[in-house]
Amino acid sequence: PRATITVKLLKQESTGRPITLEGLFVRGSEGKAQGKLMQSHPLSLCNTSEDERQESIFISIVKLESPESKVPQCQPLLDKARLALQRGAQAVIFDISDDPSAAQELRDGSSLADPVVLVTSSDADELMGLVNKNEEAMVYIDIMIDSPTWPHYDV
Amino acid sequence: HGSPGAAVPVKQCPSACQCEEDGILLLVDCSEQGLSSVPTDLSPLTSYLDLSMNNISEIQPNAFRNLHFLSELRLSGNHLRHIPGPMLQGLYNLKVLMLQNNQLERLPSEDPWELPNLLSLRLDANLIMEVPARTLSGMRSLRHLWLDDNALTEIPVSALNDLSSLQAMTLALNRITLIPDYAFRNLSNLVVLHLHNNMIRTLGQNCFEGLHSLETLELNFNDLQEFPVAIRTLAKLQELGFHNNNIKAIPERAFVGNPLLQTIHFYENPIQFVGRSAFQFLPKLHTLSLNGATEIREFPDLKGTTSLQVLTLTRAGLTSLPYDLCHLLPKLKVLELSHNVIEELPSFYHCTSLQEIGLQHNLIKQIEMNTFQQLGSLRSLDLSWNSINSIHPDAFFSLQSLIKLDLTGNRLSNLPMTGLTSLTHLKLKGNMALSRSFGLEDFPNIRVIEMPYAYQCCVFGGCSSYRSASQWEEQMGSEEEDFQKKSPSLFPIHTDNNYDLDLEEFQLAIEESKLQTSIQCTPIPGPFKPCDNLFD
Amino acid sequence: GNKQVSGVSSQGCQGGCQTCSVYNGCLTCKPKLFIHLERDGMRQIGVCLASCPNGFYGTRSPDRNDCIKCGSECDSCFNRNFCLRCRAGSYLHKGKCMESCPDGLVPSDTKKECV
Repeated sequence: PRATITVKLLKQESTGRPITLEGLFVRGSEGKAQGKLMQSHPLSLCNTSEDERQESIFISIVKLESPESKVPQCQPLLDKARLALQRGAQAVIFDISDDPSAAQELRDGSSLADPVVLVTSSDADELMGLVNKNEEAMVYIDIMIDSPTWPHYDV
Repeated sequence: HGSPGAAVPVKQCPSACQCEEDGILLLVDCSEQGLSSVPTDLSPLTSYLDLSMNNISEIQPNAFRNLHFLSELRLSGNHLRHIPGPMLQGLYNLKVLMLQNNQLERLPSEDPWELPNLLSLRLDANLIMEVPARTLSGMRSLRHLWLDDNALTEIPVSALNDLSSLQAMTLALNRITLIPDYAFRNLSNLVVLHLHNNMIRTLGQNCFEGLHSLETLELNFNDLQEFPVAIRTLAKLQELGFHNNNIKAIPERAFVGNPLLQTIHFYENPIQFVGRSAFQFLPKLHTLSLNGATEIREFPDLKGTTSLQVLTLTRAGLTSLPYDLCHLLPKLKVLELSHNVIEELPSFYHCTSLQEIGLQHNLIKQIEMNTFQQLGSLRSLDLSWNSINSIHPDAFFSLQSLIKLDLTGNRLSNLPMTGLTSLTHLKLKGNMALSRSFGLEDFPNIRVIEMPYAYQCCVFGGCSSYRSASQWEEQMGSEEEDFQKKSPSLFPIHTDNNYDLDLEEFQLAIEESKLQTSIQCTPIPGPFKPCDNLFD
Repeated sequence: GNKQVSGVSSQGCQGGCQTCSVYNGCLTCKPKLFIHLERDGMRQIGVCLASCPNGFYGTRSPDRNDCIKCGSECDSCFNRNFCLRCRAGSYLHKGKCMESCPDGLVPSDTKKECV
């Protein structure tokens, strides 16, 4: 289940063209969501870390680091996603460019209440680039409708 | 730098530092300047001095002699090994002294630091092996003491005797193995005591005598073999932690001396036995979690523990629940009783705040009409892996907030539909006698559904053009493969392709779309799992 | 103030970091330093400190030292429930911030305490 991620910069004039990116839903978490893009450090989603209240409606983006960087894996990624959603995130985007194995760990999201999307490569760089430059942006997540590519079966 | 003690212009700022005026006084920040000694031209009107994160290995005599107004001195993150008493002479007004992250091994005893107004002393993250008896005698106003992350092998009992004003202390992350009787005899004002991450194996029966004001006690990550009965003298205790120890039993009336307890954390202990009266008369307790206490046969007697919001009692031997459970625990929000041997359920009628019930892996056979009645806040109900063969038609009637219902692995042949319209997650797998078909109108908000048979998924999955099972898997697989080794060419991005959306339309679409989100139904129909009901 | 450890390590990290990355800043700190997750607009990056900034306290454990937020009414604290200095408008008494002092004590505006 693919996701379209439409990004609209807040500082640009209203005519600014939105950027369209793509990701992959964690299975079972497909859905629509919108909110301001906000970074969450991987360590901010441990059960010991405190709840950092956000005023605006936001979507969390988490840059996952490679296993070599030895970031303490304080809890499973699904629990991290759940914690972010419990703290008010409308959806969670994981940049797994440096940690592809995360896709395996995040294969079943049926217990998630809201969308969780994996991004990588150029889509991830685009989003993290905005974060790094602190360019405020609204993000709209939607389910990409694939045109059916399979023949009709008569049984 | 001038010679120590030479007259210094009143408001001069040492060259390596940044200064800021605070009325007539001066705030001086010399942190992280690579300094190897304390500047000698400090203004006598200095009230705040930050020398942290430098390379200072010793303090020259009289370095602070003229700083009578100094209120806060930060020397953290240097290379200090020893600070004889005279080095801190003249600091009559000092209130905060930060010495953490140095290499202090010994503290002065013959010539202790004279800091009569000191309130906070940070000695954490050093190499201190002992605190001599007279070390703290010159600091009788001390309120907050950090000695965590050092090399102490015992509680500095004599040194602590002088600190009757102490209110908060941490001795965590040391190598303490024993707390002797009367270790904190004079600390009648102590409110917080952290002892976690030591090697404490034995507690004297009277080791906490004298701690009349203690509210928080942390004993986590030690080697306690027995329940800390010494806590019985702590009448003001509100927060107690002894998780990650080696305690096997919680005795009867364990907390009889601690009526104000709000939280007790004791997970990660091999607890087998729990006295039935252990958790009585704790009117402020809001969470009680017991996992794997296999010797528990009867539900604990929670008389007088009326504010419980979360009760977790799993993997024990409970066979039944008290009929008046909800009279006893009216504020219950989460009830987690999985992996017991419960056969019958009382009515949860009065537990109107209940949001989550976990009863999976028990021996429940029937669900009566009033079992879950009036639970308007219930969001999640897990009854999986029981032996339920019948559910009263009105059993779910009043559950308007229920979004998750798990009945996996039971013996149902029918499912009452009344009250299930708000479900987003429904699991019925394993009920092999449940062969009826369902309709989209039964579950207007459903997103994830597990059925006993594939044909029951057709109505949710748009089977008129379904893909063969292998193709579906293949399609999913290739999507994820594409995703892993993706290259821009595979996914045309930023080109204005057919996905050119007007954002206002998108926002409107979100309001209506809650119903159209894709439904994930398993088992997935396919040529070997056709859409026709083979039983018709 | 509580400046982060300056200078840059061989890996291009801020001085106190053990490991870091462009987007997340510090990921792990050198021994005995605290990791603080600093919010800067959209960004949230890790920095390594010898003591936590105002409004946060340090918790030490064998594998990691974290800066954790104090209670809302507290400027500096020993742990989440024990305050060392209250914000303007409330007075400190035995680790609690109070708008009015218990019997027998009076509020001191200079000390911000009940005395």
